[in-house]
Amino acid sequence: MNERLNVKDLITVGIFSVILIVLIFIFGMLGYIPILMLTLPILAALICGIPYMLFLTRVNKFGMVTLMGLILGIVMFLSGHTWVPILVFTLCAFVADCILKMGNYSSLKNSIISHGVFILGIMGNMLPFFILRDYYMSSMKASMGAGYVNTIAPFLTNETLIVLCILTVICGMISAYIGKIVLKKHFEKAGIA
Amino acid sequence: MELGLNNNQKTFFNLDPRTKIFLLVILSFMVFNDAPLYISGILVLIPFICLFCSNHKKTAIIYILVYVLAKYIQICLLPTATGLVSFILIAFSYTSSRMLPIILMGYYTLVSTKVSEFIASMERSGVPKDITIPVSVVFRYIPSVYEEIKSITNAMKMRGFGLNFKSLRNPLKMVEFYMIPILISAVKTSDDLSAASLTRGFSSPKKRTHLVDAKFNIFDYLVIIVSLFGFGIYAFYFLRSVLSI
Repeated sequence: MNERLNVKDLITVGIFSVILIVLIFIFGMLGYIPILMLTLPILAALICGIPYMLFLTRVNKFGMVTLMGLILGIVMFLSGHTWVPILVFTLCAFVADCILKMGNYSSLKNSIISHGVFILGIMGNMLPFFILRDYYMSSMKASMGAGYVNTIAPFLTNETLIVLCILTVICGMISAYIGKIVLKKHFEKAGIA
Repeated sequence: MELGLNNNQKTFFNLDPRTKIFLLVILSFMVFNDAPLYISGILVLIPFICLFCSNHKKTAIIYILVYVLAKYIQICLLPTATGLVSFILIAFSYTSSRMLPIILMGYYTLVSTKVSEFIASMERSGVPKDITIPVSVVFRYIPSVYEEIKSITNAMKMRGFGLNFKSLRNPLKMVEFYMIPILISAVKTSDDLSAASLTRGFSSPKKRTHLVDAKFNIFDYLVIIVSLFGFGIYAFYFLRSVLSI
């Protein structure tokens, strides 16, 4: 098997990154309702399973998933998140890639687990809120108003972070399973999966 | 140049893609916190200048008007507003005053960069192909996804399943109806693009040559110097406020 990525693989990575970006941004708009901002990773995890599973049908080399994480991180950085998503996304995608590699890119169980890990990268968008909590509180009080901060403050604790991570992974796995069903229902009939 | 290259209406103001990316990175720092207008003024004006000098005068003027309106609301109206009105005003004014510069800069980058230009300048500065090609596909494909979403919405309206309250009752169906056509067309597009890239010789191991010459001209240096100056003021202000806390 040729290990080096060819141009077709690179283009596939680009196209599917765009779809994930568009999905994440559409649901990111919901972040303006205070409490929904925290459920954002979960929503994204629930929705990204279908494109990710379709993407995996075209992956058979190491590096494609990692590259996709890197691209997503770069776009997140350029669209006004911090530089943290680049690191977190690439790291999560790398781990997901390793999991896929262990299943030789064809095992269903490994695909589902790898989506759970991959989608954890979205937490990179939220991580600054938890690490630099006090700084963000003061700057958010200026920008979003005291009402917004008072609603969100009790939820920004370390326990919430852990619970969110676990929920995101679980939702990611569920949505990957749904993605597999959708793949069977629609795409295999059309002959593109 | 009889190859039809002259139809891209050369303007005198033509920035290098590397400069645009540099500006995007600098402007992305502005989103984190809010500065008074005399601090962030130069950075705010950069997208305006870029758009104004390159056949997008209308967008540029709308941008600067919306920005001034947002700043006006923020300074004059907010202290007196209360309740729900103030929430809406806050959301509008702070979102636009923070996000507008970078959104407009991204818009300018998307509209004014040709893919061949982008790839040429990236290859010149030695960025590996593994990053250049996906990023250029991302740049190229975002507008077509937007077009596709619009036409899917129209097609669904024709079948009596538009975006209204009745259809929002079962969101899962909405997701399915939007997602499947987009994904199918995405797979088709990726096949088309890889065929097109084969004819352009992307997969050949030899070094490619380019018709577009990617060079910095005087405007690039000018814009970079001005933006660095603006960023310097901004960073100085920000650091001082952090240290004083």
